[in-house]
Amino acid sequence: MSPIPVILDCDPGVDDAIAFLLAKQLPQLKVLAITSVAGNVSLEHTTYNALGLLEFLDWDLPVYRGAAGPIFRKRVEAAEVHGSNGMAGFDLPHTKREVEGVNAWDAIHQYALEQQGELEIIAIGPLTNLAMAFLKYPDLPQLVKRIVIMGGSSFAGNATPAAEFNIYADPEAADMVFCAGVPVHMCGLDMTMKALMTPDELDQVAAMGSKQAVFFRDVVQDIVAFMRRLDISGINMHDPAAVLYAADDSIFKAYPAGIRVETKGSITQGKTVTDLFSDAKWQKNGFVAMDLDRGAFVTKVLELMSKY
Amino acid sequence: MTSKIPIILDGDPGHDDAIAWMLAKASDKLEILACTSVSGNQSIEKTSYNARRVMTLLGIDAPFAMGTEEPLHGEPIHAGNVHGETGLDGPALPDPEIEAEPLSAVELMAKTISTSSQPVTIVATGPLTNVGALLILHPELKPRIAHISIMGGGLAFGNWTPAAEFNILVDPEAADVVFKSGLPITMAGLDVTLKALVFPEDFERIRALGNPVAVVVAEWLDFFYNFHRGLGYAGAPLHDAVAVAALIKPEILIVEDYYVQIETSGDFCRGATVADHYGFRQQPPNTHALVDIDREAFIDLLAEAAAWYGKESE
Repeated sequence: MSPIPVILDCDPGVDDAIAFLLAKQLPQLKVLAITSVAGNVSLEHTTYNALGLLEFLDWDLPVYRGAAGPIFRKRVEAAEVHGSNGMAGFDLPHTKREVEGVNAWDAIHQYALEQQGELEIIAIGPLTNLAMAFLKYPDLPQLVKRIVIMGGSSFAGNATPAAEFNIYADPEAADMVFCAGVPVHMCGLDMTMKALMTPDELDQVAAMGSKQAVFFRDVVQDIVAFMRRLDISGINMHDPAAVLYAADDSIFKAYPAGIRVETKGSITQGKTVTDLFSDAKWQKNGFVAMDLDRGAFVTKVLELMSKY
Repeated sequence: MTSKIPIILDGDPGHDDAIAWMLAKASDKLEILACTSVSGNQSIEKTSYNARRVMTLLGIDAPFAMGTEEPLHGEPIHAGNVHGETGLDGPALPDPEIEAEPLSAVELMAKTISTSSQPVTIVATGPLTNVGALLILHPELKPRIAHISIMGGGLAFGNWTPAAEFNILVDPEAADVVFKSGLPITMAGLDVTLKALVFPEDFERIRALGNPVAVVVAEWLDFFYNFHRGLGYAGAPLHDAVAVAALIKPEILIVEDYYVQIETSGDFCRGATVADHYGFRQQPPNTHALVDIDREAFIDLLAEAAAWYGKESE
């Protein structure tokens, strides 16, 4: 089978960085381009980090700059998790690489046309770029085969009790994407909170000795410390889980559902409302990943990292 | 001998309300001080008529008063599809021998609570309209309310809408008042009640008891089971009975404590019970949320309660 042509839409971000490391080694994926979006930190940082990560990985991919903030509201950040530059203070190599002269949503449309209906999008930040693309190009839903996102939660949130950060950061954009007519596979907290790597497993990666393997462990250390304060030993591989899902969903459990985003509400703004079984029987517009085989997930990560 | 827990039964019977009341009456741990009706599963006229018929069937000798058709805010919602045209379709029931008191449900609650020698526990198995109104109108009675055991909500999901469970959705403002009251709340939400399933072998066991109440309970379960099978459920979830089981046999339930808030607005989330799993709100828990049940023990409890009515009539 030929690899799936994908665009990686992201806001690096520590776990985005890990997602890059894995995406490069996944034989099932052919990453065509990176699009950046404001999210974990500002667009300036996420774009710079995307370029720096590609330099670090010696990976030759075009980077397209996307939205600097949500469509309708003020920007929120997660700098307390990812550090002020988004890389937990880790210095990525300086690069002469530059962003392309086309913005993210125009690029997405262009790639979708070129791939003639085969393009998939892996979106691991707020969904602003995708919403802008669907807004601007009414033909886009027919051209994109599938969208895999890291975002949302049918249960508890991590930005608020009800909302996960990526969706909370731009709820209207997220709802526009869920309603666009392309099946959205939601890798939300229900599943990613179980995609945990323990400190021992992080050490196992680092022991492989490549600069990428050592980076893998070191870049997440601030988050490991943050998680320890929440009584969780290790780090949730939110974004990497979405990338692995996009490549091969056989170790995941996902269920078809109607999915919408609450954009109003006094305490539920940014909540992904997933109709997995209610009497309302919403029309199904995607899949909600609820579980994964953690052991198989870690094995996969180790295998991919051993390729460096 | 330990004294019985004095309770008020507030519900919208409803098959599972009726079975909840059946459990309550049969328990030697509970003393029913009053019953009140609320609009929900059906109109207030129908739920009140059903309440009086159920009290008559079960021999609940306590004052009864009617609630109002309207929730505290917004339009009424009914579940005629679940409980049938009467709100309690299925077996023939005795004509009611209980008359409604000439005062409102809220005032009967207030009178009962203020004259009880012990703090009172409210078992609310319908929308929280009466309980919410009671807390708004009689805040001075709060110290005399020991505990509120509700069937309502769901931490993980809803049933009437993807985000909201029926009882909370019907009157989110009332639920908001209750959850903000500071009173101890036990929440039998969908997390647990969808595990409190009854299957045909269970209601055949109850039917075989042969006493008039057991037979009626089995027939209610026939109706309730068939409806839920049609929706794709594996069995009949006896939602409301769990709120009573929590008082009689707490040891068969798993409890997790959370700070729970009620969403009263939004496009999709009105009526959602939102638990603060990760402590964002930095508030102490306000809810004992039931999350799992020993189903076999629950069925035994139901069967023992149904059997009690046979001994009673001997």
